[in-house]
Amino acid sequence: MRRRDRGTAGVRALPWAALVALPLALAGCSGNGQNALHPHSHAARDIASLFWWMTGGAFLGLGLIVGLLVLSWVRRGRRGVPSDPNDPKPGEGFAVKVVVALGVVVPILVMTAIFTIGDVFVMKTTAAPYSRTRTTLTVQAVGVQWYWKFLYPGTRAVTADELHIPVRTPVNLVATTADVIHSFSVPELNRKIDTIPGTKNRIVLYADEVGVYRGRCAEFCGLQHAHMAMTVYVDPPARFRAWLRAQSAPARTPTTALQRRGERVFLDGPCSSCHTIRGTSARGYLGPDLTHLASRRTLAGATIPNRKGYLAGWIMDSQHVKPGNQMPDMDLSGPQLQALLAYLESLK
Amino acid sequence: MATTVPPPAPAEEVVARLERMWEARPGVLGWVMTTDHKRIGLLFFWTTLALFGAGGVEALLIRTQLIRPDNHLVSPGTFDELFTVHGMTMIFFFIIPASTGVFGNYLLPLMIGARDMAFPRLNALSYWVFLGSAIFLYTSLFMGLAPNAGWFDYVPLANRRFDPGPPIDFYCLAVIFNSLSSTLTASNFIVTIFKMRAPGMSFNRMPLFCFAFLATSFGLLFALPPLSADTIFLFLDRNVGTHFFDVAHGGSTLLWQHLFWIFGHPEVYILIVPAFGIATSIIPAFTQRRLVAFPLVAIAELLVVFIGFGVWAHHMFAVGMPVITVVFFAAATAMVVIPSTVQVFAWCMTFVTGSPQFRTPLLFIAGFIFMFVAGGLTGMMFVAVPFDQQVTDTYFVVAHFHYIIFGAAVFPIFAGFYFWFPKVTGKLYFELPGQISFWVVFVGTNLLFFPMHVVGLEGMTRRVYTYSGGSGWGPENLAESIGGYLTGAGIVLLLGNLLVSWFRGPPAGPDPWRAPTLEWTIPSPPPEYNFAVIPKVSSAYAAWDLADREEDRRKLAEHALVLDQGHEQPVSSPIDGWFSEIVEMPHDSPWPIVLATALSLVFTTLVIHKYAVAGIMGVLVLLALLFWHQEEPQNA
Amino acid sequence: MSGYVEGGTSERLVPRTTDARNAREAAALAARRRGPTVSLWGMAMVVASEGTLFGAFVGSYYYLRFKSPHWPPLGTPEPKVVVPLILVAVLATTSVPMQLAALAARAGRLWATRSFLLVALVVQSGYFAYEVHDYVDQLHRSTPQDNAYSSIYYLLLGADHAHVFFGLLLNVWLLGKLATGLTMYRLNAVQAVALYWHAVNVLTWIVIGTLLSAAA
Repeated sequence: MRRRDRGTAGVRALPWAALVALPLALAGCSGNGQNALHPHSHAARDIASLFWWMTGGAFLGLGLIVGLLVLSWVRRGRRGVPSDPNDPKPGEGFAVKVVVALGVVVPILVMTAIFTIGDVFVMKTTAAPYSRTRTTLTVQAVGVQWYWKFLYPGTRAVTADELHIPVRTPVNLVATTADVIHSFSVPELNRKIDTIPGTKNRIVLYADEVGVYRGRCAEFCGLQHAHMAMTVYVDPPARFRAWLRAQSAPARTPTTALQRRGERVFLDGPCSSCHTIRGTSARGYLGPDLTHLASRRTLAGATIPNRKGYLAGWIMDSQHVKPGNQMPDMDLSGPQLQALLAYLESLK
Repeated sequence: MATTVPPPAPAEEVVARLERMWEARPGVLGWVMTTDHKRIGLLFFWTTLALFGAGGVEALLIRTQLIRPDNHLVSPGTFDELFTVHGMTMIFFFIIPASTGVFGNYLLPLMIGARDMAFPRLNALSYWVFLGSAIFLYTSLFMGLAPNAGWFDYVPLANRRFDPGPPIDFYCLAVIFNSLSSTLTASNFIVTIFKMRAPGMSFNRMPLFCFAFLATSFGLLFALPPLSADTIFLFLDRNVGTHFFDVAHGGSTLLWQHLFWIFGHPEVYILIVPAFGIATSIIPAFTQRRLVAFPLVAIAELLVVFIGFGVWAHHMFAVGMPVITVVFFAAATAMVVIPSTVQVFAWCMTFVTGSPQFRTPLLFIAGFIFMFVAGGLTGMMFVAVPFDQQVTDTYFVVAHFHYIIFGAAVFPIFAGFYFWFPKVTGKLYFELPGQISFWVVFVGTNLLFFPMHVVGLEGMTRRVYTYSGGSGWGPENLAESIGGYLTGAGIVLLLGNLLVSWFRGPPAGPDPWRAPTLEWTIPSPPPEYNFAVIPKVSSAYAAWDLADREEDRRKLAEHALVLDQGHEQPVSSPIDGWFSEIVEMPHDSPWPIVLATALSLVFTTLVIHKYAVAGIMGVLVLLALLFWHQEEPQNA
Repeated sequence: MSGYVEGGTSERLVPRTTDARNAREAAALAARRRGPTVSLWGMAMVVASEGTLFGAFVGSYYYLRFKSPHWPPLGTPEPKVVVPLILVAVLATTSVPMQLAALAARAGRLWATRSFLLVALVVQSGYFAYEVHDYVDQLHRSTPQDNAYSSIYYLLLGADHAHVFFGLLLNVWLLGKLATGLTMYRLNAVQAVALYWHAVNVLTWIVIGTLLSAAA
């Protein structure tokens, strides 16, 4: 951490030390897939380099101010009689020139530069595509309290928590909301965009390389705003196409007796009033689409891993895992739960 | 109608007569009914201090919850209430009332050579309404019904559908109630500055402190009504069934955001411009030099608020506005930088060309300049819209505005506490603990807020009640929490030092700093009538004009311009300070507190939706107003 | 100038408001003051603050309007034009008696002040009575709960009526005060209330103009 101290002249170098320390600090704990300074697209890279240039300038500016204050400290008390009535404003002419030069002229130049580079050039690379010509794929991201739902228009694929896109393909992302304002944010791929009721906002998503990135809801959206994350899987085009085909298909029919019992538990119980499983009579729309639940790696807004134990805990006691979420705790007997888990785990 | 002027009396006799005439009632009634701007300032001081403590405890609870990943100290619902009430408290119930209510109230009349505000009873009303609104908000917190949708309270999250029950009703009414107080204070300041200046104090002879408070008052006057409109819409949407923010019925959710930020961005300048005023009072005193580039700084103080009204949409860059709108507001945001940089370099050059004496107040001002520049530089980065859109709603923004709001608005408040402590109490504070408290607070706040930049860039979003260990945000959050405790300890030391000094400090005398403004020409603590003789003013550094002060003493002996035929006060022409008339100021009055109580009843009955009863309480308000105006002070 | 103090003992040259013992003395003192009085400044602050509130309402009206495909929305009745326009014009004329009352007060003419105030009050009360009746009448045809248009319509109109109502209270209060004579305080009050009414009249024009623009 940066500690600053104007008391002694020796620490004038501290801003520079901090300048060196900052990248180290940023690099230290960066492997979380949502670091704005680990860009993996043209847009995010432009933003990151904009940040580095501006930060360099900021440290220069701060260093200048600290320098002036330290200078005044060094020269403190040099005047024998303070506030000489014959010379109430010593050095005024020079000081005013400094104020005008550094307080008016330099900021105008700096702001013009930031404005031009940031709001003319970088803004173009991060902006939403003007028309469909540049993008080959449209994805709709719907913010719901408290998870992200993704639809692939033109197919039947609906998923939650995870967004799959092909690598090196501009994707037209349409962000909407089912309830309150959320904000779609995948920092390593692009800037964020809010979801406003009644509005369709768009940005372009593009990834340079295959990988897994993390995104979150950035706008406060209620009790479980903290647990409204998502994972973005950037796949090679062939793998993406296969995935999309699989997701568009209806759910697999249960094969074992246990799974069939589980399906009955699902369809006859309260589950189906909120969840959809395509290919069955479950058409609820409040909760996530579970048609291919078992193909996902996380549950509950990318909060817990999709493993049997976690899934069971989530079904029986979701209010403990994510207090205030929309899913009530289920009251199932042991055999019912086992059957339901077997069924859900078969929904590849 | 020139009346006969009594024959010249000896100075002691004149002063004794003024003492008798302006003497406050003894005991509690003297405080409840007071219209003395100094007493009201002190009432504001103690109340805002308590609220600062409350807001600080909320902040430390937030930091303790976030000290490690997956912490379960408070429930998510409580966490939402904590950050919402923390924001509301610090902005509406601490910084605005502490800068205007405390510093403005206590010092403005002293700096312009007046004996009170233009509307002393209105000033008392400001305080009692403020107290009522603070009790109103904190009642909701203690009932577990505190506002919980963030201090900017976006719809539709704040609509009845997503947030049923009283919390948001409390938000709407508390905000309206509180802004009533601020509007009254702002109106009072504007009229006081324009009309109550000592004759001869033309605008260019006014201390920069007054320019800053004039700018802030105009900001408050014009920024608060849009917020009131917004909260009225929300209250009606929630409780009457109107559709201002309801997209399904032709409303707009962005209307809330526009109106909120039309208030919300000028608000930032409302918070920090008084701090500029405090800084421009302290710097000349401790560098023993007139401030560099006085006219530029005066214009910059006014301009920063003016331009501040044109930048609101930069809080909304991620909502998907048209490119042309975004670019316009980015350019306006770039423009607002200039008045700030002018001031920063004027302060710094005053340090360099003067002979600074780094006592506690000046240390806090130096710390303020550092924090303001650091926060301002990250603010300049938001002109680059894509970068703003990348980091908005992350902890990077939290870091930015805490550098501004804590560093740039609160540091000068601390500096002011130390600087004017001798004037208010007549005692000197202890220097060493003061300086130590500065360094603890300075290191603490930087440890608290700097890592927020880093963790924000690493993707940590605002207003999350917890985070997972896998996010990698643990170390920064731990550092921030430690910085939070350190800051808290520093503030306790800072205030403790003042408390001890109040009882044990050596006597200060009228002017321990050899400071340049008029309040230092009168005894400490100031007498009720402030000035025995209406002072002569021929520059903005009146206390350094020794010939003028000599003339004041001579006038006192000659019984000239003493104005002792009642609670008298001169009124001047607004710009040139021509002597226009002598008016009689009102005496103590019970009606401000009665009126504020009636208003509190109106708001209380509104929040429980007893509209008919609220109407009856409204009649009580009118009755209180009627009785208020039974007295006819000739102060107009 | 004689009133300009550069340290001189010129307090004898400026009026002392406490010296006024009757209407004529108050008027004579008032004539010697410079610039707008403190009470007029105070009322200007009220007007500025309220004007901004109305500005926010009117701004919201146009914001909602430009976001809507139909204004007023289909099925919502358009506002009537002729009667409101005539009424606003009538209300605006009361600025004349209000200003005359202020001038009469400054001249120390108590009866003239009372008479002008009474004339204004009668016209204003008539306006207010009709408008309240009309407001209730309109509520039978559409309600603020219909859609965003009617929400902002009724809010703006209601806020403006409240504004007028408060002015009526001020005038009644003034007449009550003037029943026992004219003092410096009351002289100032008449001037301030006249300013309030000028502002009400201008704001009413703006509000009604805004609301009627939906019919154009």
